[in-house]
Amino acid sequence: MAIRAAATSAPTARSSSALSLPPPISSSSSYSSAQLSFGRAKSTTRPRTTVGCAISCTMTREAAAVTSTEKDDSDPALWSRPDSFGRFGKFGGKYVPETLMYALTELESAFNSVKNDPDFQASKLCISAVKAELGGILKDYVGRETPLYFAERLTDHYRRPNGEGPHIYLKREDLNHTGAHKINNAIGQVLLAKRLGKKRIIAETGAGQHGVATATVCARFGLECIIYMGAQDMERQSLNVFRMRLLGAEVRGVHSGTATLKDATSEAIRDWVTNVESTHYILGSVAGPHPYPMMVREFHKVIGEETRRQAMEKWGGKPDILVACVGGGSNAMGLFEDFVKDKDVRLIGVEAAGLGLDSGKHAATLTKGEVGVLHGAMSYLLQDDDGQIIEPHSISAGLDYPGVGPEHSFLKEKGRAEYYCVTDEEALEAFKRVSRLEGIIPALETSHALAYLEKLCPTLPDKTKVVLNCSGRGDKDVQTAIKYLKV
Amino acid sequence: METHHFHFKTRRHNYPQVVCANHRVTTSKSNVNPSVLRLHNYGNPTADLAKERAVSADETKRPSTGKFGRFGGKFVPETLISCLEQLEVVFHQVLQDPEFQEELSTALNDYVGRETPLYYAERLTAHYKAQNMGRGPDIYIKREDLAHCGAHKMNNALAQAMIAKRMGLTAVVAATGAGQHGVATASACAKLGLSCTIFMSAADMEKQPSNVDLMTLLGAKVEPVRPTAGSFKDATSDSIRDWTEKLGEVYYLAGTAVGPHPCPTMVREFQSVIGRETRRQAAEKWGGTPDAVVACVGSGSNALGIFHEFVRDPTVRLIGVEAAGFGLNTGKHAATLAAGEVGVYHGAMSYLLQDEEGQITCPHSVGVGMEYPGVAPELSFLKETGRMEFYSASDEEAVEAYRRVARLEGILPALEASHAFAYLEKLCPTMPDGAKIIISCSGRGEKDTETVFNYPIS
Repeated sequence: MAIRAAATSAPTARSSSALSLPPPISSSSSYSSAQLSFGRAKSTTRPRTTVGCAISCTMTREAAAVTSTEKDDSDPALWSRPDSFGRFGKFGGKYVPETLMYALTELESAFNSVKNDPDFQASKLCISAVKAELGGILKDYVGRETPLYFAERLTDHYRRPNGEGPHIYLKREDLNHTGAHKINNAIGQVLLAKRLGKKRIIAETGAGQHGVATATVCARFGLECIIYMGAQDMERQSLNVFRMRLLGAEVRGVHSGTATLKDATSEAIRDWVTNVESTHYILGSVAGPHPYPMMVREFHKVIGEETRRQAMEKWGGKPDILVACVGGGSNAMGLFEDFVKDKDVRLIGVEAAGLGLDSGKHAATLTKGEVGVLHGAMSYLLQDDDGQIIEPHSISAGLDYPGVGPEHSFLKEKGRAEYYCVTDEEALEAFKRVSRLEGIIPALETSHALAYLEKLCPTLPDKTKVVLNCSGRGDKDVQTAIKYLKV
Repeated sequence: METHHFHFKTRRHNYPQVVCANHRVTTSKSNVNPSVLRLHNYGNPTADLAKERAVSADETKRPSTGKFGRFGGKFVPETLISCLEQLEVVFHQVLQDPEFQEELSTALNDYVGRETPLYYAERLTAHYKAQNMGRGPDIYIKREDLAHCGAHKMNNALAQAMIAKRMGLTAVVAATGAGQHGVATASACAKLGLSCTIFMSAADMEKQPSNVDLMTLLGAKVEPVRPTAGSFKDATSDSIRDWTEKLGEVYYLAGTAVGPHPCPTMVREFQSVIGRETRRQAAEKWGGTPDAVVACVGSGSNALGIFHEFVRDPTVRLIGVEAAGFGLNTGKHAATLAAGEVGVYHGAMSYLLQDEEGQITCPHSVGVGMEYPGVAPELSFLKETGRMEFYSASDEEAVEAYRRVARLEGILPALEASHAFAYLEKLCPTMPDGAKIIISCSGRGEKDTETVFNYPIS
């Protein structure tokens, strides 16, 4: 469903909004709250005063879609994730300029055709002799499958005086090539782009991790690669810029606005609108317009699928709890996806509380945000009273995103997943703790999930199986950590 | 076997030159075993090797001399001899102990991330074929860069830390050059709850500050060695000295296949998992063995790790690539096998770089991990028997290779490993179409990005 408004015909640069789109819709102005139940009474969505909004939307289809999901909402296996409009409940969708609609539709059909193509499939990738294209690359190039590692000393650390406590396992996405889970999606999307005959890949990057992952796979497959990066970020991350150039990518600085990630995103989208026939846009997370949230999740779901198999091997059962950090939400969706339909598995996402939820300097979208549209999808996001996007803050660049994937918003509303948050300081402590106890230096993003164990473990019965997604390694964060920890 | 002469001259000696500058040499009978002493050994390498192995197999029942031909041995102060003998006994015990092996295997799989893939480098292969009318070898990369901590060092560090724990020791000491072994040791000690001290030369600490930070974060204490000068060789000397002072309290964790017996054998044994996996993966992928295996040689642990499995396959060429630094004739290099002479250093007889007065020279390479003036005694033996070929690559060629592999395969190889990749430039044109080359990517190169960034482009 596209929003028709005067401004969308020619996207213009607006310094304070992430996309050159009309301002985000505040939920109560467009929908009557009677038609939407928010699942359970929570203080997370503040009562909103109506914000002047010059958009009108057709409501009927929307209401019907919402009502139908209300009827069978107890069994996660029956949820449409997403439905045919790309919606997860009321979240998701395709709020984009007309020019991109065709590209998105084309992308979706290409993805659906390869999803069931045995030559492309990833899911059986590592157990059988892999001839499947994606499976082979994930195994030999990326280094899958990643181990499910029993963290003995971390488990001991949380053992209570009577000897009881949960068992903690780490899913080692930090061992992937390039050191994070990001490459699973980058590889999948580049193979898809090749199938579509695209020769040019674009992406945006904040700190550079997604840029490096994209440049890496473009080098591997010999595709032209252009990375948009805010000029400010380029200065702060000059080594990552050099890395991307070494890998053969062109890094274009974006000077508009605050010259950071959201401006780079606008520029990338502008490029895509202009060059849509030759170019594929690699979105790094489960955010953005449909089909991206679904596609990115599908490319990452190998994490959860492997975990299921490995859990069965190791203890003959399923995990009891899955924990993952949430920035845009891709590593969490990757781990959760295979277990969403297992109601006895708790799903826990951990966001960044930055300097504290009351400070206004955080990135805790699902805790403090409200529903609106950002980067083409309806989801929770951090916005002020005028509907302008708030600049988020976290010590970890990867969690420093003012939105969150629509599917996470959906899972939260359904009560299927729980979301908490952790401050910079708690994350740094966890960074140090895990380094000292396990000899694994986790990314600062991952450290947020690890920090939450401090609150979680005391509440868990003996021998609860906790699987935490170690989404990346922390070599990149060493300078930051040393500075703050004064080690 | 054909030998190439375009870079170096080999020098041969009729008898070992013993350098006594740094250690008292014990010349007890056990150090010189006539039945394994080889002066010239240019016969059939595999037959001689089989004899060699048969002899040393008998010797596993009692503490052995640890000789590889005339190389190796235990040239150490008396105080260390019983310690080394005890270590050897424990080493053989763990090799036979199924519980230890299972614990090690689980840790290698779940913690280190083994087995590492054998990856077909499609674009690198195409690059060389394009230079030769579409004909050329198929290049496979053994991805040790994907191991935890980003290098092959972890295989050995973990196993030895487990041995330390088994021996009831709670403290570990190690020396590191570039820092990779230090990081791996610190990591393994954190995992096993052992306290860890790493000796690193002040110069190296400046060259690789990120590794120092990593070790500190992992809870290790980093001891700078000789603030005014010094390199890995001095760090090694200092850590051995520390070990001698604290025998019975600390475990000296050798990072590479040098030093007195049983260190070279232990390190090689724990690294040989690389070669074993490679053989299996090669059989899976093309139903055969490689035609050539290429690895960089600093002190030799990654090379031995992949070579050892194939030593007895006469059809597999073993190619080691050393660091030619600024050039072999400049004196600023680390090409021990090419330009060194035989002597005793750090407790073992091997090739080493020394000046006319028998003083150990200070090697140079852009790949800090290559800067060791000695080399594993077992590699010296493989050189002398002609089983292994060795060449070298300059700093410039290594940096070029780093850039090339980044651009073509999206992999940043460690500058050490880049020396091996550099040698492909000369090797590929000589290989028949479809020949299988396996190259060991011994580590990842994120740590070297800054060096490559600052490297003057010619």
